[in-house]
Amino acid sequence: MQDDHNECAFIHIALSVTRCPPLAAKDEILKSHLHVHRRRATAIALLAVATFALTACSAGSTSTPSAGTCVPSTGKVNLTFWNWGTGMDKAVDLWNQENPDIQVELKTVPNGNAGTYQNLFNGLKAKTAPDIAPIEYDTIPSFRLVDGLKDLSQCEGMADASSKFVDWTWSQVSSGGAVYGVPQDIGPLALYYRKDIFDKYGLAAPKTWQEYYDDAVMLKAANPEYEITHFSQTDPNWFTGLLWQNGAKLFGTEGDKWKVTVDSAEAKKVADYWQKMIDQKLVSTDLQGFSEALNKAWDTDKVLTWVSAAWGWSTIRDGAPDTTGKWAVAPIPQWTAGGTVNGNWGGSSSAVMATSTHPYEAAKFILWLNSDPKAVSILIKESGIYPASKAGADDPQLAGGVDFYGGQKIFDTFKTAGAQVNTDFSWGPTMTDTYRFMADGIAKALAGGGTLGEALADTQTKTIASIEAQGLQVAK
Amino acid sequence: MSLDHPVHFARRRRARPRIAPIAFLTPFMLPFLLIFVAPIGYAVVQSLQKVERADGLFGAPTTVWAGFAQYARAVNDSDFVASILRVLLFGIVQVPVMIGVALVLALLIDSQSARLKSFHRLAVFAPYGIPGVVAALMWGFLYDPRLSPITAGLATIGIDPNFLGPGQILWSIANVVTWTYAGYNMIVLYAALQALPGDVIEAAAIDGAGPVRLALQIKVPLIAPAIVLTAVFSIIGTLQLFTEPQVLKTITTNITSTYTPTIAAYSAASANDYSYAAALSVLIAGVSFIVSFGFLRLTARWSVTS
Repeated sequence: MQDDHNECAFIHIALSVTRCPPLAAKDEILKSHLHVHRRRATAIALLAVATFALTACSAGSTSTPSAGTCVPSTGKVNLTFWNWGTGMDKAVDLWNQENPDIQVELKTVPNGNAGTYQNLFNGLKAKTAPDIAPIEYDTIPSFRLVDGLKDLSQCEGMADASSKFVDWTWSQVSSGGAVYGVPQDIGPLALYYRKDIFDKYGLAAPKTWQEYYDDAVMLKAANPEYEITHFSQTDPNWFTGLLWQNGAKLFGTEGDKWKVTVDSAEAKKVADYWQKMIDQKLVSTDLQGFSEALNKAWDTDKVLTWVSAAWGWSTIRDGAPDTTGKWAVAPIPQWTAGGTVNGNWGGSSSAVMATSTHPYEAAKFILWLNSDPKAVSILIKESGIYPASKAGADDPQLAGGVDFYGGQKIFDTFKTAGAQVNTDFSWGPTMTDTYRFMADGIAKALAGGGTLGEALADTQTKTIASIEAQGLQVAK
Repeated sequence: MSLDHPVHFARRRRARPRIAPIAFLTPFMLPFLLIFVAPIGYAVVQSLQKVERADGLFGAPTTVWAGFAQYARAVNDSDFVASILRVLLFGIVQVPVMIGVALVLALLIDSQSARLKSFHRLAVFAPYGIPGVVAALMWGFLYDPRLSPITAGLATIGIDPNFLGPGQILWSIANVVTWTYAGYNMIVLYAALQALPGDVIEAAAIDGAGPVRLALQIKVPLIAPAIVLTAVFSIIGTLQLFTEPQVLKTITTNITSTYTPTIAAYSAASANDYSYAAALSVLIAGVSFIVSFGFLRLTARWSVTS
């Protein structure tokens, strides 16, 4: 708020101002002082303008075109790999042991949205970006906008790599023959619920959203302190996962133009459903996602379910240890009885930055990291991810029951869920903006000042403006 | 009035190169220009640009001149305008309250009958030593209705405040800011009080002024310039409010991505909309300048002692 380096200065000024007698200036001295001061001021101003001009001139846009070729480098290769989360070092160590000619140096960095994406954008401009970094599926278009990712389609092993990964993930990382990343993990949605409380009231896991609503009403009537779930304001990508499940297409393309359909009928249906729950106070409107207050609400039996991704299983386990053995996992409720559609929340791919000088080796490493059974096994164990690789879903670590969920084999549910995610969903080029417009609209709805439907409409208009501000064209 | 005299003066000065001033100024001027002035200039230049692209969904970008297009966009952005109004409202209430609290505390510690002066000075100043993020988080937990012992305690006597609600969150933030910076301002005012000439205080005492009259009618007018100064710096800081709302975002659902002007500029920069973010930053600086300059003008007669 107040600059620390102003501190001393203004204390002195404060003291002097209180004591300084008024100046009685002599004309000649004043004139000569002014003369010198004016010269000095002009000199400083000229220096300043020169500095601006220099910095402004050097601010050009540098985009390295990502060539479609992929040739091996000669000699020993050192790759830099930025990653967030824990446990990647064990996988990297294994690779370094087995590949003395291609050594990977790992650097652990903060979460992508917590600053690493900004660092990568800056690094691409300054040519200090690493060779490899994780890029979440929804951020790939933002990087493509600055030509920041290498096209790996010509690299060895990429041609038949698609069959190794869950189908819809390949469509997330590739476009028109080009491949921008290798899928690493996914977050298919499922329903985490308090089996003990549901059993107490004779309720089975809801199979449709209508059942979910009825259960919410019933539970609220039984105990006013119960809330079926919280409605996160800071995780708009959770909400887009729900829209994804209902087949809403938020973005598309029409030739060279982008198409924005955030407020499509399918999206509005989901929005209206949750708005009804908010209006009837069936969901909590003051709990922020991943907050201490939410952990306490889970722990003290106030919030009873969480529609969340496969990776969410450890979040509840770590946040609400008092409820061990009381939760269970069920498939996500469907819009039509017997339906088998799903959405996704989160998940990332490994990508090669456009400034990398060793795309062949980098591609080799990320293909190994995300499809080799030994590597994927390490990632499951140490990083706690749910793998995008098909073989990874059959890893023995995912075969057993989990104590926190009463011994249920929860990963079987996730495996089915993962295969049901809609393949026809793509992201816009300015998701950071789209997400924040959505989160702002959700904040308004939770405060009672608007509806989720209006939030979608607002996001629609603002997203179009945001895309056009990037110089892109939007189809009307 | 001799016209020759100043010219002669200047000519003599120009003849001898003055190395000493330049030598002393350079170590300051160089980093100052590079780290302070140049980025501001760059931001101003950037705010006059926009991005155009070659054809295609991901066409190659080029930066072109756009005149005041980004500024027009900012002025038409109702969220940004709302954020400016929000911090102005915040400032109109919070700054007088905080300066008032700082003044009262400074007068109390400076008074004749104060005990344990050093302890009280330290205790009131201590919150300033806590990093802003930590303070905001701590207060967030004290505000959260599900976690806070304060709200639990108040609930037992029937009061149910919602510190994090949409209508209250701004004033909860004001409370955190006041708690953090009142001590800092108090120290400045206390230093000004210490610099007051002892004979004025003695004369007042001899004339029969009690401690309250001494404080309100003698001391306060004498340190008026210092009060104006702390107020100006507080106003400038308030208009750039960022840390507290940004941290409280993780605890309450009522803070949007354009809650304060600085958060709005930060959100634009995070979305790689640099020219727009630059324009917003320049506008924030402009508003800060106008408000603080206006305030100084308004209180000009109190800033100069006669």
